[in-house]
Amino acid sequence: MLLKNAKIVNPKTNFEDIADIKIENDTITKIEKNINAQPNEEVIDLTGKIITAGLIDMHCHLREPGFCTKETIKTGIASAINGGYTAICPMANTNPQVDNVTTLTYTINRAKEESEIGFHPICAVTKGLGNEKLVNVSELLDNGAIAFSDDGKPVENMHLLSQAIKYVNSHNSIIISHSEDSSLANDGVINEGKVSTRLGLKGIPNITESLAVARELEVVRHTNGKYHFAHISTKRSIELIRQAKKDGLQVTAETAPHYFSLTEDDMVDYDAKYKVNPPLRTKEDLEAVILGLQDGTLDVIATDHAPHTVAEKQMPIQNAPMGIAGFETALGITLTYLVHKGKLTLMEALRKLNANPANILNLKEQGSIEIGKKANMTVIDLDKEWTVDASNFKSKCRISPFDKQQLKGKAIMTIINGKIINIG
Amino acid sequence: MKHLIDIENISKEDILNIVNLAKEFKNKTKKSDVIGKTIALMFYENSTRTRCSFEIAGQNLGMNIINFDANSSSLSKGESLKDTIENLYFLGVNAVVIRHNLSGIINNVMRLVKYPIHFINGGDGTHAHPSQALLDFYTMLEKIGSVEGKKITIVGDVTHSRVAKSNIRLLSKFGADIHICAPSYLQLENTQAFDVTYHDNVKEAIKDSNVVMVLRVQNERHEKEGYPDSSEYKRLYEIDTKSLKQYASKDVILMHPGPANRNIEVSSELLDNQLGKTILEQAQNGVFVRMAILNTLLKGGN
Repeated sequence: MLLKNAKIVNPKTNFEDIADIKIENDTITKIEKNINAQPNEEVIDLTGKIITAGLIDMHCHLREPGFCTKETIKTGIASAINGGYTAICPMANTNPQVDNVTTLTYTINRAKEESEIGFHPICAVTKGLGNEKLVNVSELLDNGAIAFSDDGKPVENMHLLSQAIKYVNSHNSIIISHSEDSSLANDGVINEGKVSTRLGLKGIPNITESLAVARELEVVRHTNGKYHFAHISTKRSIELIRQAKKDGLQVTAETAPHYFSLTEDDMVDYDAKYKVNPPLRTKEDLEAVILGLQDGTLDVIATDHAPHTVAEKQMPIQNAPMGIAGFETALGITLTYLVHKGKLTLMEALRKLNANPANILNLKEQGSIEIGKKANMTVIDLDKEWTVDASNFKSKCRISPFDKQQLKGKAIMTIINGKIINIG
Repeated sequence: MKHLIDIENISKEDILNIVNLAKEFKNKTKKSDVIGKTIALMFYENSTRTRCSFEIAGQNLGMNIINFDANSSSLSKGESLKDTIENLYFLGVNAVVIRHNLSGIINNVMRLVKYPIHFINGGDGTHAHPSQALLDFYTMLEKIGSVEGKKITIVGDVTHSRVAKSNIRLLSKFGADIHICAPSYLQLENTQAFDVTYHDNVKEAIKDSNVVMVLRVQNERHEKEGYPDSSEYKRLYEIDTKSLKQYASKDVILMHPGPANRNIEVSSELLDNQLGKTILEQAQNGVFVRMAILNTLLKGGN
């Protein structure tokens, strides 16, 4: 198969030029200008389009097993592919939790039945996300785990965390932090600030996140470990991580599209479709997130795809669960709010969606368009204007804070192991 | 005006119309435009004053009143508030008055209910209590003529007070000089939320005040983690006759949305003397103001 005339933007190799890509079976075999097609070879003309390494989401929730009314591995994968993702890393907070080989194997097999998408589960750090006992790290890694996180809950036992970092690192894997101080989060509903005070809603202060980041950075410093921070949302957390990187700590961090596109000011009508953890913050935090993405403090844009049923998201905001469906809007939000607004170049934005997560998670067959690698790629129409229609999501979560928003830029093809899926 | 959710979404003109109409009802120069219409009182939180006040207001207007018992209703069987309200609409209910412990519950349910029923906020969580603010405003106008430039001091558990927040919203529209006084643990979390003057010293706060509005300080609050005993509050913030006489304006009026905790936020002796009588007049005015609200929202079609 021959993909012709697309502009290749491959952050891993810093390559940006128009060229053709030849795929044989599932592998990239040639990248050159003006490759001639063989007789009977399928040729796809991508003139005017961008092709990049397949998008990788290192942070999502697929809800299976246990919460299949919210999402299943099948609908979650369909949603991810529809957003341009060729690899995803589901979190462990299902029921039962992915803290054991049986459940891990079940999820991997379910995914295989549906798709060849790169499926790399993140297992729990502690058994039952219980903050007490470390999981069997080597056994889980040998059975397909990629990293470890109690995401949804913080690891608040610092002795345990320091043991975990050392042991997980010794097996060439990392821990991903859900940075939250639970005594400060304390049943909060939205960001603590002007809006929470005016609405009479219990606030989640900024320090809920930055206190945990500061504490965990000290543990990383102490253990000389490698560590990744999930869903960073506050200015202060970003300052702390920036300084830690300057000091030479081996830390990386991600944010999610809603933290550079929405703020607490969007929540004035008590609509739980905006309810997420960490909460939408202030304009100042949003600007700090963008700055963090620009100067490299934030390495990755991950979706934190956290689906719930429409009925749950229509509950009174205090009772509704936290989480936003992210797969099908992440790239559009990134292109609209960062690339088209001139905050990041296309190369740098895509780096945070493919090369950097592949590098952090050490994914061999993802994250780069190179000869000899599996053909995992995403084709993008950078100027396509489209309107988000949550009622048409492949995800079961057909409600979104971005519903009805006009976006510019969209994935139009997801190519997984050489197979093309058209996604319009 | 179709609904009364909060002061924020109604105009100065709407507010003055309600106040003027209330005055006409009080003077018995106005007849009901809503005879035979039906309201349902849905109170999911304990309330004596507000509930009785709406009930009497409705009776005075010749309305049918359904006193919806939230505890034994189908809601306790798991029916959603949306479904309950839509059913009430089809039973012929024109308006619902909702009191609930969740802030924003009415904003939430209004998004979901598909039929043209009127919503009246009878107090939601720590968000808003617009009918209380309207009756407070009415009482202030009756007593001091205008609030523009007048020093109005609200003392007590501001952070949990929907009454304070609705009063701040309303009085700001009319140019009052608003002062808020509370110990740090009961003060608004974010001082940029409202453009008022913040105090933690009660003497400074009530100095030369034309109105001192005292808020209920719930005993339960002081039993929670991170709060001192209520005696610590009383020691510094209790309003009594002596402090009012000594610091406030000579013609100060004392207000309280009730129910008062005697000898915690306000002294028993002050409540029972002449200054305390305004608090009972507030309750009385509440009936006329709520008649004006019901008449304004429900006259004409749905």
